[in-house]
Amino acid sequence: MVTDAFQKRKERQLLWLLLPALLPILILTIYPAVYAIYLSMTNEALTGVAAAKPRFLGVANYLRLFSDGRFWNSLFVTVVFVVGSAIIGQFVLGFISAVALRRKVVGAPVFGAAILLPNAAPEVVAGFMWISMLAGGEYSTLSRIMMALGLPWVDWLNTFPLFMVVMVNTWRGIGTAMILLTAGLAAVPAEVYEAARMDGANPRQTFMRITLPLMAPTIFLYMLISTVSTISVFGLVYALTRGGPGNKTEVISVYIYNQSFTAFQIGYGAAGAVVALVVTLALGIGYVRSLKVQV
Amino acid sequence: MNRFIVGGLAAIAVSLLAGTANAETLRIALHGQAGIDAFAPTAARIEANLGVDVEIVEYPAPDGEYLTKLLTELAAGNGPDLFSIPSAAGVADMVAAGYLAPVGADLAAWPPYADFVDVAKKLAVSPDGETYVMPYILGIQQIYFRRDVLEAAGISTEQPKTWAELLDRAKEIKEKTGAYGLLFPAGTSWGGGAFDEGFSHLIIGSSTPQLVTDDGKFDLNSQGVRDVFQFYKDLIDADLMPVDPLLGPEPWVIPKYEMFPAGELAATTCGSWCYIFDWGRESRNPIPDVINAVGTWADPGQEGGEFVLANLGAPWAVNAKAANLELAKKALLETGSIENQIETATRIGNIPASNAVQADPRFQALTELVPIQAAANNGTYLKQANGMSVVSDGVARATEALLRKEVDAAGAQAILVDHVRQTLGDEAVK
Repeated sequence: MVTDAFQKRKERQLLWLLLPALLPILILTIYPAVYAIYLSMTNEALTGVAAAKPRFLGVANYLRLFSDGRFWNSLFVTVVFVVGSAIIGQFVLGFISAVALRRKVVGAPVFGAAILLPNAAPEVVAGFMWISMLAGGEYSTLSRIMMALGLPWVDWLNTFPLFMVVMVNTWRGIGTAMILLTAGLAAVPAEVYEAARMDGANPRQTFMRITLPLMAPTIFLYMLISTVSTISVFGLVYALTRGGPGNKTEVISVYIYNQSFTAFQIGYGAAGAVVALVVTLALGIGYVRSLKVQV
Repeated sequence: MNRFIVGGLAAIAVSLLAGTANAETLRIALHGQAGIDAFAPTAARIEANLGVDVEIVEYPAPDGEYLTKLLTELAAGNGPDLFSIPSAAGVADMVAAGYLAPVGADLAAWPPYADFVDVAKKLAVSPDGETYVMPYILGIQQIYFRRDVLEAAGISTEQPKTWAELLDRAKEIKEKTGAYGLLFPAGTSWGGGAFDEGFSHLIIGSSTPQLVTDDGKFDLNSQGVRDVFQFYKDLIDADLMPVDPLLGPEPWVIPKYEMFPAGELAATTCGSWCYIFDWGRESRNPIPDVINAVGTWADPGQEGGEFVLANLGAPWAVNAKAANLELAKKALLETGSIENQIETATRIGNIPASNAVQADPRFQALTELVPIQAAANNGTYLKQANGMSVVSDGVARATEALLRKEVDAAGAQAILVDHVRQTLGDEAVK
């Protein structure tokens, strides 16, 4: 009896202690998410009659969304963007950078700083910087360099738009990958490598049988973080291409923005945001289950 | 020591009093450096005449982003007291949303309004019959062509009489000079310009020249709409229009500011502002002797006729939820002053709406604009209706698909119709 009362008091105390953290989450995360779900079932708009008198539409926005080719295109572009820049580009180059930095070679700190530097530039600033490099056909910096080398100029953002966006996001995210993976590499005990060496394992075997398996939790954690954060990348893509040319780089975040704040259809845009939330949630749960960790 | 403290407190009190000399502050939204510069004397006049402090809030410069921010603030109930609306196509929807205060009675009681050209007054009237905006300047649009380039190549500079003649002229330009023959703004990146500066030029001369029926529905399944999209398709298929730049993030930059001055694009739709802002004295890439080097054609009709497109140039409006509505309305009248009209014409190149400017030597000095202002009343315009901004967005999407060669004219029309139906409901489309 005494134990029960003590237990309840303890739980109440814990609740009070958690309250300062719970309140912001409720106000800033849970409430907007629930409100977005409500909005997605209305024709709420920023202008027009629907702005003054929004109507409840039920699932009509979702039906419209699933029959909207531009929405499916944005999902496809998002998959290419995430796989290309986060999972392949940032991970592979970040991993190579992390391994390189572990070796005590001359210039390693400078190399590390150079890799980290793009993270210091805000998304939009990075986007505008790359516009000067890539946009404008023969007037772009990269085209001028090519012409100086006697090569033909290329209209980069019109000829290879998605590849360019993937490349710029890769450039910007290598540093984060490198930091996380360096921490993961440092956590692998040196004795294990020592034992492998004594057993005659070659570098490839050491990497495949020791480094990768022991790094798996770190790699999965990185994949989870980078996938979720890359799905929500907006400023970089918007500044660079605004989703163009012809929706070829319209990732889901830009699609949602365009529907909500260019076409002013807040309700329809919210439906897109809810679908993006569900997809992100499903991916997150998938990663966590793969990790076999309890959250 | 005490004297120092008292002196310090007195200085602080004086500076505070000086900082809040007027009891009220009027928040005014502006965007674009040229617009901000043009409005500075008017802001000073509002402060002097009305005894208020004017707080100029600088918004993002591109029209689309300005409108997004403005609408977001208005929807949230914390919009500025007074603001300009970048595209007249958005006015009817802002009225329907309840954002704009009616000002018809105030304008009627304001003597200078009698001098405004009729077309400006008519354009200012919303579908509900009330006036919500100050129509102080007009955008008078036509087709601007490089007279020097055409003459050098031996191409006629006469007014094309029909769409077919216009298309033939564009083909001839391409064949003889290698330059693109004609540009109509298109695609989603250009935003409202795809409608205001592109599609509108053609639809007013088509077989169905209005998009709004008498009962307020949109007539988008018409033959005229189909023919307009076919004209775009013909231009694109024959490579007469620069397509790639239109698909980029700032589609106006390369064709308007680089290709046209370089003679790589020989004709484009534009407004009177192009003589000053795009290629004239306010341009970063001016065309020498622009008045003679660049000529104008009226928009030819499909089967004949000449049309000069008139619309409101960024009309001013009062927030229906302004802290002091009466004060904001008085400030609105200042935005319609002759001084502000001339200042805006000087900086940006729009056409003053008041005939009184013709007697003003400051306006007479703007020789490029004087004849256009005199002819402003002959302007043709599209009837407005609630949902026009959705039609504008639909046109941008439809022309984008044409630019990408994904659809034919019928497909583009279907995109427009579907977009408007999905957004406004089936009943909105005839």
